[in-house]
Amino acid sequence: MNRSSSATSEASLLNQFFFAEEVPFGAALVRIALPMAAAIPMVLRFPRVRELYSTDGCATQLFELFGQGSVLPVLSPGLAIPLYGIMLVAFLCSIIGLRTRLSLAVLVVLYTYFNLLDGVSTITKYSVIATHMLLLLSVSNCGDIWSVDAWLKRHHSKTGAVIPPRSAVWPVRLMQLLFAAIYFGAAITKIQTAAFFSGEQMRYWMLSNWNYENPVGEVMAMWSPILLISAYLAVVWEILFAFLVWQPRTRVLMLLVGAAFHFMTWLTLGLYVFPAICLACYFAFLTESDFIRIRQFARRYRMAAVLYWPVAAGARLLNSVPRLVPAHATWGCLLAVGAIGFAEVERQLDLYGTNAPPGTMVLQVMDPIVAKTMIHKEQRVRQKDKFFNFEIGTSTIGGQLANRKTEFEFGDLMIAQCNMNPPHEDMWVECVLQDSEERVIERFGQFVTREMLRANFTYKFGTRLSAGDYTMVLKNANQELYHRDFKLTGEPPLMTTNQDLLTN
Amino acid sequence: MSRWKKLLACTFIATYLGFLSWGIVGHALKVGICGNTISYFVVWDMFCGWNAWDNRTHIIAEGTNGEFYDVREPWGEFHPFGHVARIHYDDGKQLLPRHINNILKRTEHKDIAQVYVVEEVWPKQYNLPPKLFDHYFGRAPDKLSYFHLQTVCRDDGTLLRGYPNWYTQQTLNSIADNPRLQQQTKQATSFYNTLFTPSSSNSGDAMSYSNNSGLVTN
Repeated sequence: MNRSSSATSEASLLNQFFFAEEVPFGAALVRIALPMAAAIPMVLRFPRVRELYSTDGCATQLFELFGQGSVLPVLSPGLAIPLYGIMLVAFLCSIIGLRTRLSLAVLVVLYTYFNLLDGVSTITKYSVIATHMLLLLSVSNCGDIWSVDAWLKRHHSKTGAVIPPRSAVWPVRLMQLLFAAIYFGAAITKIQTAAFFSGEQMRYWMLSNWNYENPVGEVMAMWSPILLISAYLAVVWEILFAFLVWQPRTRVLMLLVGAAFHFMTWLTLGLYVFPAICLACYFAFLTESDFIRIRQFARRYRMAAVLYWPVAAGARLLNSVPRLVPAHATWGCLLAVGAIGFAEVERQLDLYGTNAPPGTMVLQVMDPIVAKTMIHKEQRVRQKDKFFNFEIGTSTIGGQLANRKTEFEFGDLMIAQCNMNPPHEDMWVECVLQDSEERVIERFGQFVTREMLRANFTYKFGTRLSAGDYTMVLKNANQELYHRDFKLTGEPPLMTTNQDLLTN
Repeated sequence: MSRWKKLLACTFIATYLGFLSWGIVGHALKVGICGNTISYFVVWDMFCGWNAWDNRTHIIAEGTNGEFYDVREPWGEFHPFGHVARIHYDDGKQLLPRHINNILKRTEHKDIAQVYVVEEVWPKQYNLPPKLFDHYFGRAPDKLSYFHLQTVCRDDGTLLRGYPNWYTQQTLNSIADNPRLQQQTKQATSFYNTLFTPSSSNSGDAMSYSNNSGLVTN
């Protein structure tokens, strides 16, 4: 009896979770914001459609990267360019909500097609996320509010009702579940990547220039302990997200941490479109009650006045459209105009310079000495390039040196750490302690095997040294690679000798 | 919501969640998702490893007259995500043959004998701005790029000769730099038996020769 009632209650909860009815405020905001973000890279690629996505260029499908051959048909420029134009118009129609569902359906097909067609430089994980979201938007009722469709419906109804329609929340729930899956999957990836938790991979990522500019990342890359702490925080948050984002008490915290996380990927890794798309999708977590609360807040502080002019301008524009203009026909005409217009613009751009005078498309001649050196003279890697850095300090966090010091006191334990640039061979690495006149005081070394990412040397300042200036030198293969100067201050500790007890 | 609509919605929800779960489970346990394009849509490996060395690809064409050309689009390189050209994102070199062919067939040049694909590699710490580099490393940046011949192609991009990339080559070098391994490698000889196979043994042929009635001459 109890088991039966418990099962019924769980089914009811599940039913409530997926089929509760709400006004789709969140979905509508995603419908407006996501296509704006996802359209940016596609608009930037428009002048290159011929080169990236047509038989007149060098399209390389994602299927080919996975060794599955050319699965998709690559179209001639005469077809590919108008289709690309239709996709861009479909982005616009989705944003304004004109034939919303149909526009989104067209968008899903064309956006996926063009992304798959260029596996090298178009499809990335952000376009995959956008594809999922566009698919889920196309089965949702996101066009029921704040759209041309909604306005037309109201305009044509006899009552002119303004009560926003409610619908089942399951598409929005799937969007939320998608993000839970993304973060959980990303955490699994990080857990399987050992060097992520020692900070090395984050450091190398921040020093890469494969994305946009990231000056903050370049500075942060050298703060290894911060990278380490951030790595753990990111993984913990990614795992917890799926469990806490539907809990009323922790929901806002999870989303705020998420927003901060994506903001930091922009700041430190130079990712622009990825965070824009993810943050646009965060509107899917906005519930009806959230929206009402925000609206009340905005009204109380007269913040809604900001929207007065855009809303009034939009209403005036829509009211000027004659009632007899059919929406389907308008939508079809827009797509046709887009296809023809973009094809003409592309023709005018003349990417390959077919109408340019002879001598325009000429290969640059190279200096033969430079060319032959690049082709035939492979250099051995310098010893110093096998090392990332060499620092001295007194404490570590997660194995990474936490403080760089140039001044030590008697009794301190110096940690001299060198980070390696893999791949490297098995090496014998030495630290040499020298005084200010470059006289060797002590030399100590260790094997650094090929799988090691770093090596630590420790040195206790006891009674052997006197206060003064010293240098710690990193040596490998009889080469001095790095010098770290430091000052030893204070008084050496007194030797505890008990002369009376000396017997031997 | 009508019964049919709800049934369709439930089917969609179950299919979609099943698809997402397949990606996560497959990725976590590393089963069933290798070499599968569809898996790209459900595997969330945004952080799949970045190495310590930065690299760029250079394409050099050698003319039959001995001149060398920098094979680069005269109409301008496409930079998909910043200021790095598209060809440098082609890790697996699937785009490369088409890229070479596309440029060479649309540009004016003398006849091409061979096209060399050279990898340029340098440690990533040299990506730091000079001021930051000096601050962290205590010396002026003295970046040295290493060039490594990776592929030789025809003028239509067809592969003539291929070599491991620089990173793999360095790893191989570090392993091969071991006298004991070198000795064992010399002692081990690859062998592929065409004379005897277990299946021929099962059929009763203890030692089989080609059955051509004494016409075997050598």
